[in-house]
Amino acid sequence: MVAHLVRLKLTLLRNMFRRSRAQAIGVVFAVVYFGFLVVAMAFGAASLRVDLGLAVDIIPVAGAVAVVLWSLVPLFSFGSDPTLDPARFATFAVPPRQLAIGLIAGALVGLPAIATMLISAGVMVAWSHTVLSTLVGIVSTAVAVLTAVTMSRWVSAVATAALSSRRGNDVMGVLALILLVLLSPVLIVLSNAGGDYLAVVRSVSSVAGWTPLGWAWAAPGDIALGHTVVGLLRLALGVAFLWALGVLWLRALTRQVENPRSAARSGSATTADGDLGLLDRGPDTPTGAVAMRVLVYWWRDPRYQAGMLLTPFVPLALLIPYFTSDVRWVTLLMAPLLAFMMAWGEHNAVAYEADAFWMHVAAGTPGLADRRGRLVPSLLVAVPLVIVYAVAGAALAARFDLLAVVLGLSVALLGTAYAVSSVLSVVLPYPVAKPGESPFSTPPGATGITLAAQTVAAISSVVLSAPPIVLALLAWSGAVWAVWAGAVVGLVWGVMLFEIGVRVGARVYERRAPELLASLTAN
Amino acid sequence: MSEPSMTESQTTERGTSSTAASAPADLPAPRGGPAAGPAVAIRGLGKRFGDVIAVKGIDLDVPRGSFFGLVGPNGAGKTTTLSMVTGLLRPTVGQAFVLGHDVWADPVAAKRLLGILPDGLRTFDRLTGLQLITYSGLLRGMPRELAAERATELVNALGLASAQGKLVVDYSAGMTKKVTLASALIHGPRVLVLDEPFEAVDPVSSATIRSILADFVGSGGTVILSSHVMDLVERICSHVAVIADGRVLAHGGIEEVREGQSLEQRFVSLVGGTTQVEGLSWLRTSSD
Repeated sequence: MVAHLVRLKLTLLRNMFRRSRAQAIGVVFAVVYFGFLVVAMAFGAASLRVDLGLAVDIIPVAGAVAVVLWSLVPLFSFGSDPTLDPARFATFAVPPRQLAIGLIAGALVGLPAIATMLISAGVMVAWSHTVLSTLVGIVSTAVAVLTAVTMSRWVSAVATAALSSRRGNDVMGVLALILLVLLSPVLIVLSNAGGDYLAVVRSVSSVAGWTPLGWAWAAPGDIALGHTVVGLLRLALGVAFLWALGVLWLRALTRQVENPRSAARSGSATTADGDLGLLDRGPDTPTGAVAMRVLVYWWRDPRYQAGMLLTPFVPLALLIPYFTSDVRWVTLLMAPLLAFMMAWGEHNAVAYEADAFWMHVAAGTPGLADRRGRLVPSLLVAVPLVIVYAVAGAALAARFDLLAVVLGLSVALLGTAYAVSSVLSVVLPYPVAKPGESPFSTPPGATGITLAAQTVAAISSVVLSAPPIVLALLAWSGAVWAVWAGAVVGLVWGVMLFEIGVRVGARVYERRAPELLASLTAN
Repeated sequence: MSEPSMTESQTTERGTSSTAASAPADLPAPRGGPAAGPAVAIRGLGKRFGDVIAVKGIDLDVPRGSFFGLVGPNGAGKTTTLSMVTGLLRPTVGQAFVLGHDVWADPVAAKRLLGILPDGLRTFDRLTGLQLITYSGLLRGMPRELAAERATELVNALGLASAQGKLVVDYSAGMTKKVTLASALIHGPRVLVLDEPFEAVDPVSSATIRSILADFVGSGGTVILSSHVMDLVERICSHVAVIADGRVLAHGGIEEVREGQSLEQRFVSLVGGTTQVEGLSWLRTSSD
């Protein structure tokens, strides 16, 4: 079983290069780029060998962060791998214990795991001071990597089960809030540090080293420093934690295998006879129908909710530098950032519909109706939020004189990024979780094309809004005339590019709708 | 840009739909002028997927007012052919015409005349049944009032009335088929292309669908359907085409194609498979 799963993952890895030429190039590009990054980080970790004190300060906290990232990143962006979704194995008579081990082994064969292992190899080098510290370094780093992977599997399994129920949606909202609340102690610690970041890292690291996430990462450092008993204790604790996680994972997996349907369905809604719901609200045109249908999906499809729940909060991250250092103006960026994120988020809109898109093709829906209608719900959320963030940002920064140009820039970014999304969602759709699948899964082997499309969308949106950006920069640097010029130009620019983008998108859509459908069906 | 004209044609049609209300299934009557030429004409249609040639040049005429069955073994190219005829999949070579409109040169005109039930494609299943049917009408530019009115009629005719408020994702396979069929009917098409319409449908619903289709053909519409079930095709179709390995092996009126045999016998002899099963001895429990 374990061998089968590993072989399956290897085949999937190889198949990444077997897609269309453009996609294969995207994969190669991504692998080379991240390959460099990972190798550089591995060497960086290995070079900590020369400074044991620094290694003891950095590695436990970095390791603990890595474990957290392993658990959280799949939830929010790239998604976990559906080949490893336990519910898929429900119809095969595989003993849960074997399946649990097999799925962990399968998770180890994948680009994120390979990257982690490469960097961990660097960490092992960093601990090679004495024979004992080398040995413990190898064992406990391996334990730490396994901890990261097992915890990631367990969190995904629990989150999938939670989010697919109606109550789970609320749980997700609460989780997002908790994350925000957790930010504040971090802010306080950082703001009190007053510049001595190494001291902060040192104190955080000593705390992290005594949490379950850091036990295994910190153990070799103790040995290398001569605290053999403490080191072995931490190693034992780390192994015990891994074992506990394994038990939790096995339990979650057994539950999912025995009751797979609960993972894929959300609570059923029933409406009264003759009730068209939202479809009865919008304007009586195909555009209105598309817009209202997308809104219904936002309401009922967990895949949209995961993103929609977080994007509006992203600009709050700018409060970190605001509170921790003296860069007061940074809050001015909240509205432009939100505008960009919201509009950029639409760049793969069609892919979420998967092959249900055939209804649009079969109906010969006009391109303009399809393109416009899809953007309406996002606009309905983005416009009020942009205004709120712009005013709040200007108030926090005490720069109401710049409010006009901030609004102008936000509108420009909003319009431009919507324009890019409108074209790109037809030209370069990439695979996403299918309707009914866990919102936290991404199709295997799609990392390359995903990165390529996301990068193209982001860069072209920024490049295309260069004139308003330049004006905004001038206004910020003190040119009073540029404030109003930036506001007017930004407004006109955003509206104009939105229109152009939607029209170009509509034309491409009308020419390429069948090809688009074919690529959605194939994925 | 074609929105206004579409709305207009649908509005004028609203007058005629009241006469159709007397039809047994309460369905809108098919629109259109007098019959001339085939309902669907397929000319040299072919499709290549990489190294695989799925459809190898098909020529076929589907007469107006016919109940046309497309039969063939698994992987014969039925779904590929129907997708190319309905504008869902671009052909590598060849043309397809629906009532004289080239599907690939003038898709808007052709699609307005077509109602499609694809096989194995998802629908917008987070909508309720009623919402989905209405949405299909709205996408085609129908006024909401008319779309909602017809959607309710269709829901009643297809026996989905009690499930109209449930999400389509919670429907059974047969109910999903029916709701998709209703979505294909709402704009009053003149040619219906149905891929495996009876699969997973219970006998009562199957009879309902058959009577709706018979009425549709009786009032001048054309139905093309694909199926594996020879008995069914033999019973309800007026014309049939047998395709295998991407080619048409035989086509014409059902009596013509049968040549005195049952359709199933004729099919097996045309396709040239064997029904003899070898091996699998371990499946026979008596050998224990």
